[in-house]
Amino acid sequence: MDPITSYLGIACLLFTIGGIGLCLRRNAIVLFMCVEMMLNAVNLAFVAFSKIHGNLDGQVAVFFVMVIAAAESAIGLAIILSVFRSVASIETTDAAELKW
Amino acid sequence: MSFMEFVLAAIGIASAIGVVGFRNPLSSAFSLIVHLLAIAGLYALLGAHFLAVSQVVVYAGAIMVLVLFVLMLLNLKSESGRRIGIVRSALTVGIGLVIFLSISAPMLAQFADLPQATLEQNIKSSEGGVKAIGELLYSQYMVQFELSSLVLLVGVVGAVMLAKRKNVQLMPREGGMGGVK
Repeated sequence: MDPITSYLGIACLLFTIGGIGLCLRRNAIVLFMCVEMMLNAVNLAFVAFSKIHGNLDGQVAVFFVMVIAAAESAIGLAIILSVFRSVASIETTDAAELKW
Repeated sequence: MSFMEFVLAAIGIASAIGVVGFRNPLSSAFSLIVHLLAIAGLYALLGAHFLAVSQVVVYAGAIMVLVLFVLMLLNLKSESGRRIGIVRSALTVGIGLVIFLSISAPMLAQFADLPQATLEQNIKSSEGGVKAIGELLYSQYMVQFELSSLVLLVGVVGAVMLAKRKNVQLMPREGGMGGVK
């Protein structure tokens, strides 16, 4: 078995753990962290494939994913803050109504 | 798989389970920091040194500081001690299996058909440092690079717009008692 294959296996496993977290948890910040974890899993697969192919395009893609993740975290946490201000909770079940 | 890879992968998976499993969000956040550092180590082992450093600085540094700040701003409470029902846990395991198989099966099945790197390409890409990435970023990916700066700008402005209090406004100064209400 190619050593790179194990990296892909790890990436799949981490993506799955993140997805399970998205299904199980209700705390909005933990959901956010699970999304970050899934992005990281994809990044790991990108880097592994970049190693297999022997070109750096995959690593550049990871760079852009990091940029988007940084912007997303700023916006996402601001949204969580403003939701917390209006419903006084960050559990997703408490903010289930599409109004306030 | 070398010993170092195995250790880092084990730490990464264990801390990922920790992120999902801990009831206290603060524990999840610290677990996520460990996870990100382990992934940074795997990047370094794969030869992506620039990404390993920026993973530590951007993810484990900047983003996690932001998350921890928000966790501290909100009142911390462990998730209510509800028990996860049998239907829900079965559903979760099912969804997990579906996600895992639907990603890993095609990826590993087509793995053999992928064009493998030649020795020359391997040597070229094994640099993985700032120089090689920077050359690619500033030539082939120039437009995307500039656009990403726009995305960051929108992120900053949007975060300020969303997070600022709606009822804060500058009151007109009357007498000595003006200022922010």
